[in-house]
Amino acid sequence: MPPLEHAPPTARSEFFGACAWLALGVAIVIGSWTMDRLEQQNINPYTAPGLLPGLLGLAMIVLGGALAHRSWRRGALREAAPPLTLDRRDERRRIWVVMALCVGYGAVLIGHGLPFWLASTIYVTASILIVRRLSRDPEQRRLSAKAAVQAIVIGVAASLITQWVFQDLFLVRLP
Amino acid sequence: MQGLVDLGNAYLSFLNPMTLAYGLGGAFVGIVMGILPGLSATLAIALLTTLTIKLQANDAILVLICSYVGALYGGSRTAILLNIPGTAANAASCADGYALAKRGEAGRAIGIATSGAFVSTLFGVLCLAAFTPLLAEVALSFGAFEFFWLALFGVVISGSIVGDDPLKGWLMGMLGLFVAQVGQEGLYAYDRFTLGWDELSGGIALIPALVGAFGLAEVLTTLADPIERKIVELRDSVLPRFREIVQYWRTVLRSGVIGVFTGLLPGVGEDAGAWMSYAAAKAVSKEKEQFGKGSIDGLMAAETGDMSSIPGHIIPCLALGIPGSAPSAVLMAAMIIHGIQPGPMLMIQHPHFVYEVVAMTTLASITILLFGLFGVRPLLHVLRVPRAVLMPIVFLLCVVGAFATASRLFDVYAMLAVGVGAFFLRRHGYEMAPFVLGLVLGPLLDKSLRRGLVLSDGSLVPFVTRPICVAFGLVTLFTILLYVPSFKALVQRARGAAGSGLRALFARRG
Repeated sequence: MPPLEHAPPTARSEFFGACAWLALGVAIVIGSWTMDRLEQQNINPYTAPGLLPGLLGLAMIVLGGALAHRSWRRGALREAAPPLTLDRRDERRRIWVVMALCVGYGAVLIGHGLPFWLASTIYVTASILIVRRLSRDPEQRRLSAKAAVQAIVIGVAASLITQWVFQDLFLVRLP
Repeated sequence: MQGLVDLGNAYLSFLNPMTLAYGLGGAFVGIVMGILPGLSATLAIALLTTLTIKLQANDAILVLICSYVGALYGGSRTAILLNIPGTAANAASCADGYALAKRGEAGRAIGIATSGAFVSTLFGVLCLAAFTPLLAEVALSFGAFEFFWLALFGVVISGSIVGDDPLKGWLMGMLGLFVAQVGQEGLYAYDRFTLGWDELSGGIALIPALVGAFGLAEVLTTLADPIERKIVELRDSVLPRFREIVQYWRTVLRSGVIGVFTGLLPGVGEDAGAWMSYAAAKAVSKEKEQFGKGSIDGLMAAETGDMSSIPGHIIPCLALGIPGSAPSAVLMAAMIIHGIQPGPMLMIQHPHFVYEVVAMTTLASITILLFGLFGVRPLLHVLRVPRAVLMPIVFLLCVVGAFATASRLFDVYAMLAVGVGAFFLRRHGYEMAPFVLGLVLGPLLDKSLRRGLVLSDGSLVPFVTRPICVAFGLVTLFTILLYVPSFKALVQRARGAAGSGLRALFARRG
């Protein structure tokens, strides 16, 4: 099998995950039970809309419970939280930054008046430069003028080519 | 006889320059996406679906099938040169392929991958042409009860085979089934779990969800830790090696059959075809120790197993309307977008379409042979592009892909939500394939359950007494119970006893 790039999940994190599944399952069952049974429409009671979601919620509760039980048996509540190494802290910061970039592009830049190619150029350029800045390699972190110009050129090229191919060549609507 | 005539017509209709160009283009995009580790066939097909939305149905599906075949073929390159599978299906090729590469035989390994892929895809196409009409005939007798068990079986087996934790796989399957229930349901147009939002009435569309789960989640995973890897130098010739095909014809045939049969199982991905073929080849090989250290037999088995499962996955798509894997789920969604409803009625409403798919898949295998002959070294330059540059561009395409299907910004937001959720779930060991299956099979499961209950007037008896239902139900139950350790031990003891019993029987005879 290919090398694992990320540490396997701990019993502790599995246990908390299992609790989340249990909570979701319970919420789904409550939602299905309180769902309108559409009696005014005189439907067959076995076709109530909440039937399958309710069963899925129950299944989720059973599976979540099994997962919680299994991770508890593996010592989830006995072990302490793993220490926050510098590496992991860096990784977390990178994740949040990248997520902010992606969500910022998808939810804010796109579809609110900015032309598509401009929004995309801003996103691609900013993303390349910011990820370089967060890189482990000090060579990469130095943002020279050349690197900035490269990023802008790539951003503009990617946006314009995408717009041309999708919109003009294949007649697909863009946001 | 009519079938052969239809097949001939289908082949003839694809022999024009524009169609061939589409095929080559689709294969090219597929191979590039396959070469880049992390980008999967599912994402390639999802993005190309939105690109080809305005094309004719046949041209669009041709592009998608060529990209499907191309993506799995391209993934074998990275498996051989980088020891990282380009797509999960190529994981079985990593060990032997990379070992061969380190010995200086990278070109030979790639040549074997090309010829193996070409031959096994053609074999799969033969099975596609032969089995799809047969399966569709059988499926015409399926009712709501049978489809209920089939949908449930698909999600359960996907959860138990994909990844190494069936419990987490089933949880993802349940999540996928649940997300499919959000929105207006099919019988009374009643809004379920929409929390008052009008936009959720349409539910979470499949393509934005897939683009999120396979695109955004991958972008986040890669950019969280962008490691650049060194690739092995390509010194020897990469021409396809047909001599090895002839030498190892038994492996090729065996893996082809295994690949097609694992393809038929809903929810079981191409990697299962590859691993099972690999395991089977190792079990009967005279050079078992070589496996994992550069065995040609092993590489051949892995490559032919995973490529022949592509037509294998398309068979249940067309005949039952139940996808065999995540990429074929997107393929199915694309067919529906273009007005072709897969399922038992396909042979009645669009009888020519199955033969057209056969022709398309044949064309796809020819395109990968062409790329294998001419396009290996140039395409590998794609690997030199830094991930930090590539991933934002991929996300750009993801946003376009999510928006383009229905021109709704809400789809982009759905893609973001699913992508972020998928990213965190993947970091905790949850696989995406059962989620995809759940999303696709959710509506079918819901309708089948409710219709079945109406037909039987609330009784569960038909669900457990009709013969096909009993078969599916028992297999589903068996798959779930295998997870319980005491049951599994029982099964293993029974299998051991049966094995020794058979051996004793043959020993006495001999």
